[in-house]
Amino acid sequence: MTARSDKSSVGVSPWNSPSVISNHKRRQRIDIILKVVVTACVIAVVVPLGDLLFMFCYRGIEVISIPRLLGNPISSIPGLSNGIVGTAILTTLAACISIPLGIFGGIYMAEFSKGGKFAEGIRFCSDVLAGVPSIVLGYVCFLAFVLFFGWGYGPAAGAVVLSIIMFPYIFRTTEIAIKKVPEGIKEGAIALGSTKATMINRLVLRFALPGILTGILLSVGIALSETAPLLYTANFANYNPTGFFHSQLGYLTGFIWLFYQSPLPQDVDLAYLATFLLILIVLCLNIVARVGLRRFSKV
Amino acid sequence: MMKEESGSREMKETTPVLMHGTQEPVDALMKLVDFSAFYGHLEVLKNINLSIERNKITVFMGPSGCGKSTLVRTLNRMNDEVSGFRTTGKVLLDGEDIYGPGVDPVLLKTRVGMVFQKPNPFPISIYDNVAFGPRIHHLTKRKDELDSIVRESLQKAALWDEVKDRLGKSAWGLSGGQQQRLCIARALAVKPEMILMDEPASALDPGSTSKVEELMVELKENYTVVLVTHNMQQAARVGTSVAFLYKGDLVEFGPASDVFENPESPLTEKYIKGNL
Repeated sequence: MTARSDKSSVGVSPWNSPSVISNHKRRQRIDIILKVVVTACVIAVVVPLGDLLFMFCYRGIEVISIPRLLGNPISSIPGLSNGIVGTAILTTLAACISIPLGIFGGIYMAEFSKGGKFAEGIRFCSDVLAGVPSIVLGYVCFLAFVLFFGWGYGPAAGAVVLSIIMFPYIFRTTEIAIKKVPEGIKEGAIALGSTKATMINRLVLRFALPGILTGILLSVGIALSETAPLLYTANFANYNPTGFFHSQLGYLTGFIWLFYQSPLPQDVDLAYLATFLLILIVLCLNIVARVGLRRFSKV
Repeated sequence: MMKEESGSREMKETTPVLMHGTQEPVDALMKLVDFSAFYGHLEVLKNINLSIERNKITVFMGPSGCGKSTLVRTLNRMNDEVSGFRTTGKVLLDGEDIYGPGVDPVLLKTRVGMVFQKPNPFPISIYDNVAFGPRIHHLTKRKDELDSIVRESLQKAALWDEVKDRLGKSAWGLSGGQQQRLCIARALAVKPEMILMDEPASALDPGSTSKVEELMVELKENYTVVLVTHNMQQAARVGTSVAFLYKGDLVEFGPASDVFENPESPLTEKYIKGNL
């Protein structure tokens, strides 16, 4: 602290008293300690994470090859093409179900519900749904769809359970993103004689899109990485599915779960390859989203 | 007409409002008859009776919380969405009650436009902001007609010369005063009869404020303007008629010069002298 003159116009300055100075030094020490602690925490998280990523990428690049990407586990050179296809089918179907439901539900909550008890109840249920362990949802869907409705293991049951897992994220982020749109913009549109639908369609969604897309990406990332509920609903197969019902299928996380502790080294390689591909897909999704958002947010 | 007459007779009997020159016939575009408004059980506007003259600037003034913003927002039904909001009495636009059955609040807003306290341009280009109204109402399908609506609206809002070279740029890059004139242009583009302005200059610097005031005076040639302000100087500069509201009551209403020079109510006098 820079010393101040004692001859202040308002009498003796309190700034030079020992207690003020020692207090200031104590606060400086706390400041330094805080900086050290937060930096240490960041290092403690980033270093193992970096190590893991590096290891998976290193092993992934080591084992990646065209036959492994095109074959299936029982080909002469075992591959995981059916896992790529299965993950794509399941995630796409689940997205087709959950994205419209989540977005329309979020629009309802933000613009039409008027904050009543009903809306509060829906929000609570959605939050509970997001907190239910996915294996429980998998078992429930197994009982309901695979057995009770007789769908059997297959893309349909798998996609439904994934969409149930994805829904709360899209639903809540859409609601929050729409609520963040400035009230003035909504009022401005209404004052020009726009209906609510026009206002939402032409202005609100445009404004809220970055937030909504974030929710969708988050949920797609979660769907990509689910394993347990799929074991209950899609089971696993070494072939591509032949229909929506009664047609087990493979998926990338299944490769990791089933192959990583196999005694055969070529199976373990497939598990690493599946891990690498999943990391790559999530990375690409994020890059695409960020680039797209940046282009979009330029008016 | 019967209803209007009985409304005005009742007004003279029941309300204490001090009206200057009520005997003179006025060319009223809008007329409020025994109009009250409530938020839940709270009565925020109490039995208002007044006429808004065509091609004039009618000013609502009063201290914060007097109900002037609520009043102006009821004139184009902007408060419909507020939960617990309800009204009694009539707001007659060209003789038709805008709260009556069969009135579409969406179409009403194309006849009675609104400019808000805080400039609220949409996060799209300047051109698209002005074209927003004409586009959603399908006023024209031809690009050249839309271009001319946009140009005329911007010219009327005294903004054309400043933005004609950057119509495709974002409206959010404009200054606060320009944004507010853009909002006026946007309101003009749907060809309203009446424009409500809710403290349109309170967020602007003095230079932008005087531009917006000049603009209001020009606009009254072709439009009926309702201005809400807590700025008495502004009310005196641009107002034709002035209504003074206090705690939900219409205390005094009359030509601006009469209200400012010979206020009949002691409340108005106190407010004008800054003692309220």
